[in-house]
Amino acid sequence: MKGLGRVRLDRVEKYYGGVSALKTVDLEIRPNEFFALLGPSGSGKTTTLRLIAGLETPSAGRILFDNLDVTDSGPGERDIAMVFQSYALYPHMTVAENIAFPLRMSGVPRRELASLVRGAAARVRIDHLLDRRPSQLSGGQQQRCALARAIVRKPRLFLLDEPLSNLDAKLRVETRVELKSLQHQLDVTTIYVTHDQEEAMTLADRIAIFMDGEIVQVGAPAAIFERPATLAVAGFIGSPAMNLVRAHADGGAVRVGDTIIPCHARIPGPPRDVMLAVRPGDIAADKQGLPAQVYVSELLGETSIINLKIGAELVKMRVSGGSPFRDGEQIHVRFDPDRLHLFEPESGKRIEIEAEPKMRRSAP
Amino acid sequence: MTGPGLRRRLTKALITACASAILALWAFPIFWAFVVALKGESEVLAFPPSIVFTPTLRNFVDALVGRFSILPEMGTSLVISLVATLLTITIAVPASYAFARLRLPAGKLLGFYVLATQMLPPVGLVIPYFLILNSVGLLDTYQGMIVVYLTFSLPFAIWLMVSFMEDVPREMEEAAAIDRASRLKTLWYVILPQVRGGIAVTVVFVFLNCWDEFLFAVQLSGNRVRPVTVAMYNFVSVEQTLWAKLSAAALIAMVPMMAIGFAAQRHIVKGLTVGAVKGGGRR
Repeated sequence: MKGLGRVRLDRVEKYYGGVSALKTVDLEIRPNEFFALLGPSGSGKTTTLRLIAGLETPSAGRILFDNLDVTDSGPGERDIAMVFQSYALYPHMTVAENIAFPLRMSGVPRRELASLVRGAAARVRIDHLLDRRPSQLSGGQQQRCALARAIVRKPRLFLLDEPLSNLDAKLRVETRVELKSLQHQLDVTTIYVTHDQEEAMTLADRIAIFMDGEIVQVGAPAAIFERPATLAVAGFIGSPAMNLVRAHADGGAVRVGDTIIPCHARIPGPPRDVMLAVRPGDIAADKQGLPAQVYVSELLGETSIINLKIGAELVKMRVSGGSPFRDGEQIHVRFDPDRLHLFEPESGKRIEIEAEPKMRRSAP
Repeated sequence: MTGPGLRRRLTKALITACASAILALWAFPIFWAFVVALKGESEVLAFPPSIVFTPTLRNFVDALVGRFSILPEMGTSLVISLVATLLTITIAVPASYAFARLRLPAGKLLGFYVLATQMLPPVGLVIPYFLILNSVGLLDTYQGMIVVYLTFSLPFAIWLMVSFMEDVPREMEEAAAIDRASRLKTLWYVILPQVRGGIAVTVVFVFLNCWDEFLFAVQLSGNRVRPVTVAMYNFVSVEQTLWAKLSAAALIAMVPMMAIGFAAQRHIVKGLTVGAVKGGGRR
């Protein structure tokens, strides 16, 4: 642990013309952390990465690396490396020349180049392709070349902008694993932009979720999964996403239509309409439960997703193995009372259910 | 069935026929000049033109090494065109990069300015240029001709190069910036190698314009400094025009340009179609 690579964004804002791309972002990224910026397109995650890279200048606020203000430093002065979504390989240079480029620009002596380049290429298993041009490489190999160019110089910070999005599904999952192990070996703070929640969940130590130019939640993947801070996050994290059902909360009970959903808690505040959220895995068939009609079943392999109609709502339930039900069958299901989430329907804010066993800092 | 195949073949034949007709129209003067250059001076003016004649290489020999040699003037043209092209490229490359990448207030005016310089009738500029060159003592000098050629080749070259520069992905430059390359190093190591083709096209066009230029050459030079176009004009005199020798000289003067044209053919086609197809096929 060298303890370097701490990044702090201090009330950073970004406007383009009069349009706000990023509203007041406060963020702290710890040394050697694998940190994901996750959000749908246009949510400000890439803008944040570009601000950290120095490719954009913030309209307000400060950016600090290891307590050093780099707000006005150019990208070259920040000791960073970046993998672009398009890879941005230099097409007229061979793989070896591409990888050597940051070293040459940093004034590394010529005789040391070859071994460093070979080392970086070997780490991402492209050392047999050093004499090729980028146009002679497959997409996966180009991606590795861009990675090698980033790791050849040990920077303070790795910035990865959707590095896997141009790979096919199988290769993406393979590369994901390698990326994670590479980051462990190199022990360098890594900031990773993605719109793929699965990628963020599997790779990151912590995630910041962006929505509409703001960070709505920061936390470890498990914490975000367990306690989404807003309705939008609940709908974004998890595959398939949480079921969102209109419900009515009245003190001790939550009601969907006319049916009372057992809930081991007391809901604060006056009786009102709420959004009830429950993960597909937290629903099970139970003879005492809510009446539901099997709409259609999808076999995913080891599990199946059963689409249910509960009143007017469509709800997904996950069961292991194939579906035990026929389409159209009337069944009864039960929501796990310990794993219910409630949100304000308008603001989307999480309603903290009192007496929930694991109380943590409540969402803003 | 043969239906679509036949149709494709017909289309192809039609295109070939059209292209041949256009090519013939374009190539005929050159072909005719070649025929004329092979004739004796008396035969040239025969009407109807003599189809059967004894070809002679006399005119070519005369225009090359004889009394009418244009070789020294070709040297002069070469010096003027080379220096003008070199200066144009040296200035146009960084200038076009700046126009393509930096948000310059004058950026939008460039296109208009270039068009304006191309639309201006050159004849209208002859007298002002004459007066200016005369007052600074550059009339009938290499420097004077080069400066005059720069005034129209430079805006044209910048305008042409901007489109090539804009085709280089911005991310490439951002990657270079993160890799600690300065702006100039980025231009040199990352941008320039990718716009080689564009530079080749610009070189050819600029060189061609300077080499072929006649109006300014004949008015602003001609005694101490005599470009090849002016030398060829000397075959035309009050008493007579030496058509055969003029044709031979013209064909000889064409050779360097044709050589450059063939060498840069691939790039020129791309240069002419730049922007026509997105991506342009350039690497």
